[in-house]
Amino acid sequence: MDEYITIALPKGKLFDKAVNMLAKVGYSAENVVEDSRKLVISNEETKVRFIIAKTVDVPTYVEYGAADIGIIGKDVLNEQGKDVVELLDLDFGRCRLMMAVPEATKRANLTDYAHTRAATKYPNCAKRYFDKLGIQVELIKLNGSIELGPIVGLSESIVDIVETGTTLRENKLVEIDSLFTATARLIANRASFKLKFARLHKLVEDLRVVVAENAAAKAAKK
Amino acid sequence: MTNKIYQVPYGTKDILPGEMKARRRVESAIIDVFDKWGYDEVKTPEFEYTETFGSAGTEFDFRLFDRKNNLLVLRNDMTAPIARLTATRLRDGEKVKRLCYLANLYRYEEIQAGRQCQFEQAGVELMGASGPAADAEAIVLAAEALKAAGLQKFAIIVGNVDFINGLAEEAGFSNEQTEDLKKCLRRHDAVAMQEMANNMQGIRSEIKQLFADFLFLQGGKDLLEKMQGIVANAKCQAALEDLLKIYELLEVYGIADHVSMDLGLYRSFNYYTGMLFEIYLPELGYPIAGGGRYDNMLESFGVHAPATGFAIGVDRVMLALERNGSVSNNRSCDVLVAYAEGALKKAIERACSLRAEGRSVKLATEPMTMEEAAAAVKEYSCSTLVLVE
Repeated sequence: MDEYITIALPKGKLFDKAVNMLAKVGYSAENVVEDSRKLVISNEETKVRFIIAKTVDVPTYVEYGAADIGIIGKDVLNEQGKDVVELLDLDFGRCRLMMAVPEATKRANLTDYAHTRAATKYPNCAKRYFDKLGIQVELIKLNGSIELGPIVGLSESIVDIVETGTTLRENKLVEIDSLFTATARLIANRASFKLKFARLHKLVEDLRVVVAENAAAKAAKK
Repeated sequence: MTNKIYQVPYGTKDILPGEMKARRRVESAIIDVFDKWGYDEVKTPEFEYTETFGSAGTEFDFRLFDRKNNLLVLRNDMTAPIARLTATRLRDGEKVKRLCYLANLYRYEEIQAGRQCQFEQAGVELMGASGPAADAEAIVLAAEALKAAGLQKFAIIVGNVDFINGLAEEAGFSNEQTEDLKKCLRRHDAVAMQEMANNMQGIRSEIKQLFADFLFLQGGKDLLEKMQGIVANAKCQAALEDLLKIYELLEVYGIADHVSMDLGLYRSFNYYTGMLFEIYLPELGYPIAGGGRYDNMLESFGVHAPATGFAIGVDRVMLALERNGSVSNNRSCDVLVAYAEGALKKAIERACSLRAEGRSVKLATEPMTMEEAAAAVKEYSCSTLVLVE
């Protein structure tokens, strides 16, 4: 273990669970917190280094090899299509990308939306989806508060991430189709995966056990 | 006065004087190694008729029309042009042909992570030979070229596309399913592989497990031997046998400690038919070289001959050298010959004789005083000043 493993962690809703999960398999350092003033946090003893990055930047750090591995939602991976190795489904942060319209304008069939103006943070996923359905679309890229689009007349529909659907209901929007379900993934840089294979393979095996334990605990609760 | 800054097209860049000097040294070192191994350098046109690359084309082609409306494409790969050249111009030559090249290639790609729209490759094609000896030669030559360029630390990852084909056969995959499998491997998607394995029915659990672990089938000779005991499929067995023989030859060449086997290795070009490999360095997040066996490519140009080869990304070599601090963009020249009023003719003679001795010489373009000459020798990065009076 002569070399460091650098891990890119996403700020936001995946952060705490990602840190906990890595700590369980011995990948931890002092003061790995979301609002850390330090940009890089190292653990000399275990040769681990953490980078705390903006969510959408995690795949970029990993693709370039600035980080060896990272944890990131499948939604971001699908949107960016970066050339990284997708190693493991960590089975948390579950959400889905879906299309919604205002309740009042809901139509009977999906194909009834022959043309739509859709607001989204995920223009690439949305384009692929509408292309497949043969729906002609004008995509409006927004960076937040997507639900606002139909309310203020900016768009007729939205393509956005939902977890529980509360925000949709509050804004009188109704889901009409789901594009895909996403969970957090462990990703690796292509070169790191080859050059540090033994260590990363062990990490995946260890995390696999934790994922299975979490799933069993969740099932027992139910 | 105008302030307009002229731009170069998207995905292209200039190479400046010191940088180019360093690059030329690296290019020469690589081509010298190829030459030492008996490879003859060739040059093909920057653009070709589209049919050379298969008329279907790809989304990253730069296409253009000539004046007769023929569709042309800026070459996006050197393997096809070399195959064309060999099949048409060198048809009657020796049975085994060894060619090498240094070429600019063009692909319309998003410029990120080591990709530009115009980039340079140095590579070889070994045509007319099948079997482990040729494949091992290709791998070793790539490693030797990188060493000559100044890169000593690297990992060579070797696989065989027939192992993948054989496992697909073993699982009873349709062509479409096999394509899906290759897509997952090309995208390095272990999660999708796991899902694929979970959905398999009526297949031995050991085989199912191999699909789930496909991206993790990496290791040395022991991995190959272990796999021989697990997979009975004839194609897989042949692929493993081939890799074992290649590995043994790499041991003889003394580079086996750089090598690991990766049975899930699959590369973007779909013309590979057997062994394939990639080389990675600690300095870069993406491969620096790659290649493999392509036994059917020459067939499409009307000649039946097996072939193997590789290409090294020269821009990536330069970036790696820069990162590990071993490249110098030093523009220095040995001597500045300056001269006093009326001494130009003598100065020219002096400059010529110094050049004949093998020194690099800049000759001043106007007469100088001692003080001016002392300043000029610094400005023009020359190590020695000769003032002719």
